[in-house]
Amino acid sequence: MTDRKIVLFSAFRYLLPSDYENWLERMAAEGWHINRFRQWSSIVMTFRRGEPKRYRFVYDPQVSPRKEYIATYEQFGWEYLGRMASAHFWRMEYEGERPEAFSDQESIVRRNKRTIAAVSVSFSIFLITVLVVGILLLFFADSLSEIDRTQVVVAEGFFGVITIALGTVMVFLRKNESR
Amino acid sequence: MSLEKARKRYIPMSETMFYILFSLKQERHGYAIMQRVKELTQGRITLGAGTVYSSLGKLESDGLIQGVREEGRRKIYTITPVGSEILCEEVARITELYNNVKESL
Repeated sequence: MTDRKIVLFSAFRYLLPSDYENWLERMAAEGWHINRFRQWSSIVMTFRRGEPKRYRFVYDPQVSPRKEYIATYEQFGWEYLGRMASAHFWRMEYEGERPEAFSDQESIVRRNKRTIAAVSVSFSIFLITVLVVGILLLFFADSLSEIDRTQVVVAEGFFGVITIALGTVMVFLRKNESR
Repeated sequence: MSLEKARKRYIPMSETMFYILFSLKQERHGYAIMQRVKELTQGRITLGAGTVYSSLGKLESDGLIQGVREEGRRKIYTITPVGSEILCEEVARITELYNNVKESL
């Protein structure tokens, strides 16, 4: 039996922080563990087989956390697992009542709004790129060779698809910001 | 933040914000705030680390609390005059609510 499981594009499969946390918890309950999150974990994530455990995970987007961020969570008993882009990950083993890092609705919504803000940065970058490439095509297409024009059109299509996908993700997150 | 803006943003106040602000009438760090609120509410409210951290950040940036010193990696906070005024006004609001309905309950 294999002792490793590789999961690709996990962050795109579970868009809501709470869904992502629940998925990590289910994996741990089945004995699949991840002990460290890295910058590219959203693309490739490697779980290792171990004893099934009840872990509560926390997905906390913080672009520039204050100095006391780590210490505050650690004092409450959370174990730091690292960060994936701007999202920090924590876990705590538990029995009985499931621990919560966000204990009221207001802070859950605030956490989810930080997630939307992080996605909106990427959305804005891609939207600007689509607009710039669109202007290039609109006003300077005649001065480009056919090969260059084809490449620019393909690039415009590629960036356009990503922009639409990010926009859809933002709408989904906004509709579910209380979860 | 001016008192007027703080009023608009914080009154009425969530229970979490109220208890965090009230706990900081005495200097405390994040974990001590959670313990104090748990004690005040006899275990009904157990604040989470993320809630405490983000609430302290919001209250500090709006000038209702301030950091007074650091102990190792922990930061100790206390309430500011603006925070005290907002807390008093919120207590007055809750008292009015209570007085208005207590006879009918």
